[in-house]
Amino acid sequence: MSSIENSEEVGRNKTKNRSKWYRIKRLCQTYPLGAIGSFIVFLVVFAAVFADFVAPYDPTTTSAKMSLSPPGSDMLFGGDMMGRDVLSRIIHGARISLAVGIGSTLLGGVIGTIIGLMCGYWMGLFDLLIQRIIDMMQALPLLVMALVMAASLGPSLENTIIAISIPLVPQVARVIRSNVLSLRELPFVEAARAVGMSDLRIVFRHILPNTLAPLIVLGTAQLGSAILTEASLSFLGLGVPEPYPSWGRMLSESAAEYVRVAPWLVIFPGIAISAAVFGANLMGDAVRDFLDPRNQG
Amino acid sequence: MRSNLFKALAVAVVSASCFGIISTAALAEKSGGILKFYHRGTPPSGSIHEEATSSTLVPYMSVFNNLVMFDQAKPVNSAETIVPDLAKSWAWGGDKTKVTFTLRKGVKFHDGKPFTAKDVVCTWNLILGNSKAKLRKNPRKSWYKNLASVEASGDYEVTFNLKRRQPAFLMLLASGYSPVYPCHVPPKKMRTKPIGTGPFKFVSLKQNEHVKFTKNKDYWKKGRPLLDGHEWTIIKSRSTRVLGFIAGKFDMSFAGDISIPIYKDLIKQAPHAICEKHATNVSTNLIVNQFKPPFDNGKIRKAMVLTIDRASFNKILGHGEFIMSGAMLPPPHGVWGMPPEVLKNVAGYHPDVAANRAEARKIMKSLGYGPDNRLKVKVATRNIAIYRDPAVLLIDHLKEIFIDGELDTVETSNWHAKVARKDYQVGLNLTGIGVDDPDAMFYENYACGSQRNYTGYCKEEMMKLFEKQSMMDNGPERMKLVYEIDKKLQEDAARPIIANNVRYNCFQPYVKGFKTQTNSLYNGWRFEDIYLDK
Amino acid sequence: MLYSYLIQRFLLMFLTLLGMSIIIFVLLRLVPGNIVDIMFDSAGFVDPDEKKTIEKELGLDLPIYEQYYHWIVGLISFDLGFSYVSEMPAVDEIGPRIPITAKLAALSLFFSILFGLPLGVISAVKQNTALDYALRVVSLSGLSLPSFWLALLILMACVSYTGAIPIYTETPETLWDELLLYLLPSAAVGFRASALIMRLTRSSMLEVMRQDYIRTAMSKGASDNAINYKHALRNAVLPVTTIVGIEAAFLIGGLIITETVFNIPGVAHFLVEAILMRDYPIVQSLVMFIAIIVVVINFLTDLAYAALDPRIKYSD
Repeated sequence: MSSIENSEEVGRNKTKNRSKWYRIKRLCQTYPLGAIGSFIVFLVVFAAVFADFVAPYDPTTTSAKMSLSPPGSDMLFGGDMMGRDVLSRIIHGARISLAVGIGSTLLGGVIGTIIGLMCGYWMGLFDLLIQRIIDMMQALPLLVMALVMAASLGPSLENTIIAISIPLVPQVARVIRSNVLSLRELPFVEAARAVGMSDLRIVFRHILPNTLAPLIVLGTAQLGSAILTEASLSFLGLGVPEPYPSWGRMLSESAAEYVRVAPWLVIFPGIAISAAVFGANLMGDAVRDFLDPRNQG
Repeated sequence: MRSNLFKALAVAVVSASCFGIISTAALAEKSGGILKFYHRGTPPSGSIHEEATSSTLVPYMSVFNNLVMFDQAKPVNSAETIVPDLAKSWAWGGDKTKVTFTLRKGVKFHDGKPFTAKDVVCTWNLILGNSKAKLRKNPRKSWYKNLASVEASGDYEVTFNLKRRQPAFLMLLASGYSPVYPCHVPPKKMRTKPIGTGPFKFVSLKQNEHVKFTKNKDYWKKGRPLLDGHEWTIIKSRSTRVLGFIAGKFDMSFAGDISIPIYKDLIKQAPHAICEKHATNVSTNLIVNQFKPPFDNGKIRKAMVLTIDRASFNKILGHGEFIMSGAMLPPPHGVWGMPPEVLKNVAGYHPDVAANRAEARKIMKSLGYGPDNRLKVKVATRNIAIYRDPAVLLIDHLKEIFIDGELDTVETSNWHAKVARKDYQVGLNLTGIGVDDPDAMFYENYACGSQRNYTGYCKEEMMKLFEKQSMMDNGPERMKLVYEIDKKLQEDAARPIIANNVRYNCFQPYVKGFKTQTNSLYNGWRFEDIYLDK
Repeated sequence: MLYSYLIQRFLLMFLTLLGMSIIIFVLLRLVPGNIVDIMFDSAGFVDPDEKKTIEKELGLDLPIYEQYYHWIVGLISFDLGFSYVSEMPAVDEIGPRIPITAKLAALSLFFSILFGLPLGVISAVKQNTALDYALRVVSLSGLSLPSFWLALLILMACVSYTGAIPIYTETPETLWDELLLYLLPSAAVGFRASALIMRLTRSSMLEVMRQDYIRTAMSKGASDNAINYKHALRNAVLPVTTIVGIEAAFLIGGLIITETVFNIPGVAHFLVEAILMRDYPIVQSLVMFIAIIVVVINFLTDLAYAALDPRIKYSD
């Protein structure tokens, strides 16, 4: 009895707040998988941001005593060949994965948006040329493209981000372009033009906000695949170099070498990658469903 | 009476069984069968003279013969274990400034052409760069700096003329790295389809797949080889290939491939396997570029040597089984290295790491570095595990003396050029030596002007000492001088040796007639006496 | 109409490939360190004079457009030059490896369709049920597991249960041996591909089921199952064909990793090796080869689409 009264009292005081929580709760009920995904992504972001406080050890400190030590009270996920703490390396590795994921998504998104806007707005020969180049870029599988890029740019964090962002550019450009094409004929854009608004202002005031939804969908979808591609590149030895603890590199040669003696070297980083990508994909799916006009109402 | 009979019977039984053992031993040398190896990566080419990697040397050594070679049945190479090969005999002349070989007759190359003294002259002219045909790569040119000319007299006698006395010259010729090439085959063909006089003929190489060799039926040594051939499956992942060995798909591991942690797992899974522990004469070492400030300051290099915790390297990478040494490998594995009682007096080898580091920190502080003013460096190393792992440890040890290292991994393909150009600050390197002799070691790695002298260490007085020991005959005096040189090299931090590596070579119990050599990875792969006792 | 569409598509394909060849060629010239360095490096030996000789021998001293011209002319006449590493003709290096990868790809595709298609349909029909959620989670995890990790886990499981691992040693003798050898790797690749196919089948099924004529059929009183399998599936299969076509071409991404982990000497594994060794003739020819396959498959699926769907207009 009293609890209901209590909650009503609180509710009355913070109506606004409750409705916000209520909406989040509703959202979670409508998209349970998306909620799980968002939670995982939140964990990864949290680990990346607060790695220095969360990680029990320095991820680069070696220890002869802990070399290949099995998971236990000293090291929750065990130690690697060098006696470094696997858990701490996974936590710090979240930084790299996220840096590559977000970095490449932003970079690819921005470049793709600019190209898409230019194509859609100006059309003509420029559009035709860009469209053909986009065709070409899409003729190569993501990993092949990233491999060639990584090989030609050399392994480093920045280059990995560039290599992974490039395959995103044509996808974004294509979506933005088709959106612009349909938007430019709409009355409010024509009205803006009639009022004498400059092209740049029209783009920023009217067209860009209206293409945001597909951009977000593409961006969240890219996050997972960027993390996965980074891991694959690092696994093949063409990704982010040491001393950065990258998840993919943790799984490459030296871990595989001790897989029989120390299976935890393979299991935990693999779970980290899978979970992060899984979370990002779940979130991406939910965002897509949420923003899809056909699913509204 | 009865006891006598018993005795006689016992004697008969014992002698019969002894006889039985002897006869089975003689009978056991079976011929036939193909020896299956795994290989860690595609050999860059089949031309031994053009390569400096065991990837080429180990499988291809059996295609060729040398003039002389190291006894394949003895584990430690030395001047005493040199035996005839294509040369029946040799004689020194002119106070060891020239050596004349009498060659075997009736030897044929795999293509049927006869072997003569001309082929020997051609081979060493190729290395000296005196012939029209050129080698693309010539990694052991520095070995023959003292070789003036090679002359044939008739078809079966050849003389090597030296510029000065060099008793250890024969050691260089005995290495697996010194095969005799046919005069009539151009270098390009030697890279793709090598032809020699050896017990096995090259059959085919397929990148990332296999290398195959078959028995040379016309081999000049009667009754050899015993195998019908040997084949190598290329598997880049070490875990996969070791599992393949455990599962019995391979008869022998690749030279130097089984590290100590992996051996411990392997022998648990395959207790029947025979694994021979061997020092490979490959050392893990620190290279510091003496031309790049602040490392031109000897003090900082000394501090870096002091912070190295050799025991921790040894424990993690070698489970305590690595060998502490200077440049040369100590007995019983090698011949010329400083024994422990000499080594412990060398600066930086003192086991009290805490005291060493306190001293190192004092040095760093005197140079203006401290917890608030840390030195940032890039630690370059080759992008493969056996380089990367110790480099990670090194960075951690440097952290103790206010140096923050960042690993700069360099692809295998670019590594040697990068350090040869001296385009690095601090590096972690592995140095393997073809022949366990001070001449090869000092001239290749520590002499002024040598391309493999990556740190740029160059001292006139040391050059004089190198030459002095090179002109001496083997004996206690040369040994003493070599210790002295080695001690100086370590104290000068010319290329501080962190540890001398120890590996295992594993094979299945039915592989007989093979002995793993301990003081070089490059000389014991002729395979003519190996047989399969299945 | 169809004829001109064909010609237009064909020309476009040709143009795309020409552009691709330029992009690939230029990209690979940006690589730091070339093969000449590499050849010296493995010996730890650098002599500028000898370096020039090799550069000349390999044609690396020519201006870049001339190198490109030689490559394209060679490409047309199936002369891909010589591998810098093995000094063998690139055709002889690449050729024998293609069937291996093709078999692996075919088997993976078979797996992915076998599981992806029916599960996608089930998931769509049972939309928002527990089964649908479960299937979606499985398919998403298929897209989330790194294929190299999956391959490592499979190898680990193999070793602990059978004590042996499938190692590609020799060309397998019997068909059964061959199948065994390809089974695990293609399952690893197929898992991911089937997840993708399942997702796309599901969404295109849902799309079709939303459309008017299905609703009409439903109002006419057709039973649920009849609608689902007769009307919806037939229409949903159309986009799925395209997807399967594209997926076939893009399987190469998964194969690169899987062939590397399982040590299968196919073209995908060879590509990684060639990239690490900076073996230009092999890399550029292989990447070009992949591009050709993708573009041709795209072309064929476009044609199939045009032939199957009467609504398509033959213009861009």
